[in-house]
Amino acid sequence: MTVLRVLFVLVGLALSGAASAQVDDEAIRATIARFADSKNFRETEEIVRDLAATGDVRVERPLSALSDGNLSFRKSDRQVFIAPERGQTATLFDPLTGEAAGEAPKGDFTKVKVNNSLRRTIRDVISGLTLASPDPVVRLAAARTMFIAPDAANLEALDAAIAAETVTSVKISLEAARASTILVSDAPDAAKFDAIALLGQRGDRETLSLLTGFAARSQGDLQAAAQRAIDTIGKSLALWDIGQNIWYGISLGSVLLLAAIGLAITFGVMGVINMAHGEMVMIGAYTTFVVQSVIRSSFPGLFDWSLTIALPLAFLVAGAVGLALERGVIRFLYGRPLETLLATWGVSLILQQAVRTIFGPTNQEVGNPSWMSGGFQIGQLALTWNRLWIVVFALAVFGLLLYIFKRTAWGLQMRAVTANRRMASSMGIRTPWVDAFTFALGSGIAGIAGVALSQIDNVSPNLGQGYIIDSFMVVVFGGVGNLWGTLVGAFSLGIVNKFLEPYAGAVLGKILVLVLIILFIQKRPRGLFALKGRSVEA
Amino acid sequence: MITQRLFTGGSNRRVLVTALVLAAVAVLVPVLHLALPPSSPFHVPAYMVALVGKYLTYALLALALDLVWGYCGILSLGHGAFFALGGYAMGMYLMRQIGDRGVYGNPILPDFMVFLNWKELPWFWYGFDQFWFAAIMIVLAPGALAFVFGWFAFRSRVTGVYLSIITQALTYALLLAFFRNDMGFGGNNGLTDFKDILGFNVQAPETRAGLFAASALALALALLITSAITRSKYGMLMVAVRDAESRTRFIGWRPENIKVFAFTISAVMAGIAGALYVPQVGIINPGEFAPANSIEVVVWTAVGGRGTLVGPIIGALLVNGGKSWFTGILPEYWLFALGGLFIAVTLFLPKGIIGTWDSWRASRRDAAERARTKAEEDAAPPPVDPATGRPVRVEETPRAPSPGLSGGPAPQPAE
Amino acid sequence: MRGMIATLAKRVSGAALAGLMMAGAATAQEDTIKVGILHSLSGTMAISETTLKDVMLMLVEQQNAKGGLLGKKLEAVVVDPASDWPLFAEKARELISVNGVSAVFGCWTSVSRKSVLPVFEELNSILFYPVQYEGEESQRNVFYTGAAPNQQAIPAVDYLMNEEGVERWVLAGTDYVYPRTTNKILEAYLESKGVAAEDIMINYTPFGHSDWQTIVSDIKTFGSAGKKTAVVSTINGDANVPFYKELGNQGVKAEDIPVVAFSVGEEELAGLDTAPLVGHLTAWNYFQSVDTPENAEFIAAWKEFTKNPDRVTNDPMEAHYIGFNMWVKAVEKAGTTDSDAVIDAMIGVSVPNLTGGYSAMMPNHHITKPVLIGEIQADGQMETVWETTGLVVGDEWSDYLPDSKDLIADWRAPMSCGNFNVATGKCGGKGVN
Repeated sequence: MTVLRVLFVLVGLALSGAASAQVDDEAIRATIARFADSKNFRETEEIVRDLAATGDVRVERPLSALSDGNLSFRKSDRQVFIAPERGQTATLFDPLTGEAAGEAPKGDFTKVKVNNSLRRTIRDVISGLTLASPDPVVRLAAARTMFIAPDAANLEALDAAIAAETVTSVKISLEAARASTILVSDAPDAAKFDAIALLGQRGDRETLSLLTGFAARSQGDLQAAAQRAIDTIGKSLALWDIGQNIWYGISLGSVLLLAAIGLAITFGVMGVINMAHGEMVMIGAYTTFVVQSVIRSSFPGLFDWSLTIALPLAFLVAGAVGLALERGVIRFLYGRPLETLLATWGVSLILQQAVRTIFGPTNQEVGNPSWMSGGFQIGQLALTWNRLWIVVFALAVFGLLLYIFKRTAWGLQMRAVTANRRMASSMGIRTPWVDAFTFALGSGIAGIAGVALSQIDNVSPNLGQGYIIDSFMVVVFGGVGNLWGTLVGAFSLGIVNKFLEPYAGAVLGKILVLVLIILFIQKRPRGLFALKGRSVEA
Repeated sequence: MITQRLFTGGSNRRVLVTALVLAAVAVLVPVLHLALPPSSPFHVPAYMVALVGKYLTYALLALALDLVWGYCGILSLGHGAFFALGGYAMGMYLMRQIGDRGVYGNPILPDFMVFLNWKELPWFWYGFDQFWFAAIMIVLAPGALAFVFGWFAFRSRVTGVYLSIITQALTYALLLAFFRNDMGFGGNNGLTDFKDILGFNVQAPETRAGLFAASALALALALLITSAITRSKYGMLMVAVRDAESRTRFIGWRPENIKVFAFTISAVMAGIAGALYVPQVGIINPGEFAPANSIEVVVWTAVGGRGTLVGPIIGALLVNGGKSWFTGILPEYWLFALGGLFIAVTLFLPKGIIGTWDSWRASRRDAAERARTKAEEDAAPPPVDPATGRPVRVEETPRAPSPGLSGGPAPQPAE
Repeated sequence: MRGMIATLAKRVSGAALAGLMMAGAATAQEDTIKVGILHSLSGTMAISETTLKDVMLMLVEQQNAKGGLLGKKLEAVVVDPASDWPLFAEKARELISVNGVSAVFGCWTSVSRKSVLPVFEELNSILFYPVQYEGEESQRNVFYTGAAPNQQAIPAVDYLMNEEGVERWVLAGTDYVYPRTTNKILEAYLESKGVAAEDIMINYTPFGHSDWQTIVSDIKTFGSAGKKTAVVSTINGDANVPFYKELGNQGVKAEDIPVVAFSVGEEELAGLDTAPLVGHLTAWNYFQSVDTPENAEFIAAWKEFTKNPDRVTNDPMEAHYIGFNMWVKAVEKAGTTDSDAVIDAMIGVSVPNLTGGYSAMMPNHHITKPVLIGEIQADGQMETVWETTGLVVGDEWSDYLPDSKDLIADWRAPMSCGNFNVATGKCGGKGVN
């Protein structure tokens, strides 16, 4: 959206130079000045419509500013400016030409109030103004707006635009917009049948919404035709929904995998019932928060890199806490895993309260970098960038861990110590340090999971508590001591959960999954992928 | 061998003494509360009666956990579920006793059903207007759940960590289920606003004192019963299952039956604890199912010393007393104190307070005995003194895996 | 052996008793008036309640700077009920009977309030409850300074219906009593306005729900039926951040499907980037952005007190501000902190609120408030887009629920009843009928 707005402004700039003043500047300025006297949203809306009625492309600038909440007037002389605020000051721009007009304290200005219906109106009138824009992206946006919010008055403009359009993708959108406009106009039935046929091929949710609305208004054959189109779209959407559900399941699974994979090492491989695992995740998330705060205050340009910077730091911080925990507490408790449960439970209480004391009990803001915001569509499959990246990231972490375990000397030592400590020790492996670093590795992985989870969840002292039980379920379901088990466990629990949710509801779905896990453990007491060998006995 | 001797001799006497103390408390505290005027220095204020009464039910819960964990090696991370089920059974009885004194004055339906537009009482609420029925359910609901759950889990030979985690899953699932308002148990708010129990006003000092006495007596009774169980043949078998399940099976016993027995008895005890808890605190809600609560019970037991019967009682009283105290005087920092306590206990008192006390006495007696032997036979080796900085290691190294779960990087003896 | 154990037991219980006695003795001086603060400082609710503890400390400090109350200094007693509901009851009892506080300001969740109610009733003390709640309650010892459903939910729905032309409704909430009751009331209200049952979708999620993909996509599907759709959210606290993040990422824009929330305030929004949420709505009785001198002074004092220029204020804080000032005024009026006298003096007390008017305590122990509808701004603040012309009286017994529509509460002398049935003329609900 922001990109589009920047484009609007650029286009506006280009045009304002080129366009001969079709309308008297003064008239437009006088209309804009009325914003300062508007008493309520209805009056503001009238002014917006008056501005749009001038047909001058330049009014797009003040209208966009109004929609973004950047249009203000000076309290002293009621002059209207575009005045985006930063801190305590507002930077002033001329509302029509966009020329900079200096800076002023923001207290001197009053914002022109805007609400949702006003924003909708602005969006619609801007689309009318920009339909003939030279930039295809702007035209596409205008066509989409007209498609979603059709207005019979736009029909002629659309016909003209279609005739003049050269870019195929824009033309398709314009035709769809025309079809949806015909449905709300008083065009002859034949044209409406054509429109329904054209829309029927699209098969997306907006079309469904348009047609449903149309079917409710119309009668006879038209309604029947619309209903047939609705049914067709409904059927294809039902198929897409299955795909969508699988995606949601994969996405939930990747979150579970991230949360559990560190535990798969500390608990699964080392046998430490690490109740402080969730707090390692939390530490990672807070590291992200600290990194972002520093970047925000000192290097705002690097914001998109904040996660990349936070990843190694989170690994190090959580890893260091893990190392300290292992050296300070857990190493005295090997062979008594139960006691690790109690001690790490105490550690988790302390870490939570420490974070609460340092950062305060409230949520901290962790922003999404631009490459993790928003979403896109594949067919009717809606994917969001942050979920997609988290899936990719979870798999990458998994792959990396697998590599460390199977292909490096350290991994070999870890496996050796797990399989038979005394034998490993006799072979010259320094088992205490292998323990310490294995634990640090598990904690560090939890830390980088925290970086990812900070993108979709609260960053609060309670962050870890929300994941600890799910993580244990995943590890136990997958089979203790087996990374592949954790992977399969996480994704199957995620997908099962998402398929149950639409039928059973979120709460019952979760209960059913838990019951399934309990039953499953009866069937396979050692989880999905049971480790063979003596190390699992007793 | 030495521990064995201590267990049979010392612990039995200790159990008796504790039971007697509890019985005395059950009589004394209500008397001091009711008979003496508030100005008297020996007057026990209502606040203390309510508080200690609550702790006693917690102690009963910890004792129940000790039976399965300390003696049978089953670490249940879901004992809070049985406690809460007993509590709900009692709460349902108390709700029905409100009758038409609820805010809407509906003689049958509890208030929460009225304002959510329920038209009739769900079937599972039938019968709870009778105390005898509620009393049966207090025993039956947790007992049956434990029996069914244990029957399947132990027959499938789910052990160790897996068992702990699925008990946690059990209580978590129940937590989510009881949160649902559609279940008909009052959702998140649970059951509250009780008026009468057996015709007595729950807020009256006499009722409070009576409930206190009942809790103390129930705890004393439970202590004697568990002590009897642990000293019976079944108790020996439990310990055998705990220490070497496969060997017990090879000898010809059925460990799963023993485990189901212990688990069910323990769940029933937990349910009774919950039933006594509810009228004293005046509310039962799904929060009691929270896995964190069950873990806390484990902590009490560990602090007091598992496998000692009296230990868990002392642990529950101490930890909860500390919690009440710290949340009042150090509201911002008490979690540090509590967390620190758990770490310190596991590191420095791995057998809990009672366990450590026992080993310390045992080692003293050993040392004395050996000194005597040494005096007689000059060639004997010098006695080891384990009561130094880390008695943990000294005591643990030569022993087989400790009770409860094991696994992990330590070498495992083949069974 | 026996002797030793007995000694140990004695020592242990002695120590515990001594500790508790000490806590009692240390605070048993009579030259101050004590105010109890019963808000969770740890556990899941700490996120919301810690702020309220801070604001109470600030108010007490300010009152002391003004010379205290009845010539005595006020003393705040803070305890931590740790988001543990039975612990709330225990701590309330401790505050009242051990510390001897004159009034308690506290609780957030309904269940914590329900848990302490019997204690306040038994020990006859006073509780100020600052959070918007489901109503269906009026207790002699409790003063409800938060909003009842008619002071928040119903005006918000009216706004959406009239200003945005919404015809299709998603009622999404966390599965506990406040959303359940509010949604029951809204459902009845919407039906009374002619909304068909198939145009209402109700959805409940567990506490702390973090995976909103399916539900947001369901909302999108529900919204594509050709009618203007809005979401009325009673989603609680923590679960909101992932919910709004998912909304933003799945591209649900306020212009298309606005979400109006009753549990999302400045404090919750401080935890997320609000740029994608601009235009979504909230309904409260106070916003930090309200431009009045009282509010400016309050915000400045708050930032100074917390020594943090980024701290935000929110609605429950204003409720405590109102409740505390009402209590001060009632104590001055009664000339004593004695519960009965203060409870009687409270009714009719009127103090300035932060939105430029006066809030008064009504005989039903609820207060009058303006209702503001705000749109979320890019800076995490709300901007008022609509407000009621006058003050709205909190309606404890909803008129839209069949069993409570005949009930009223009036704690003034002749009636003195929290659930008087106007149909049967009896106190105590329906009575036996």
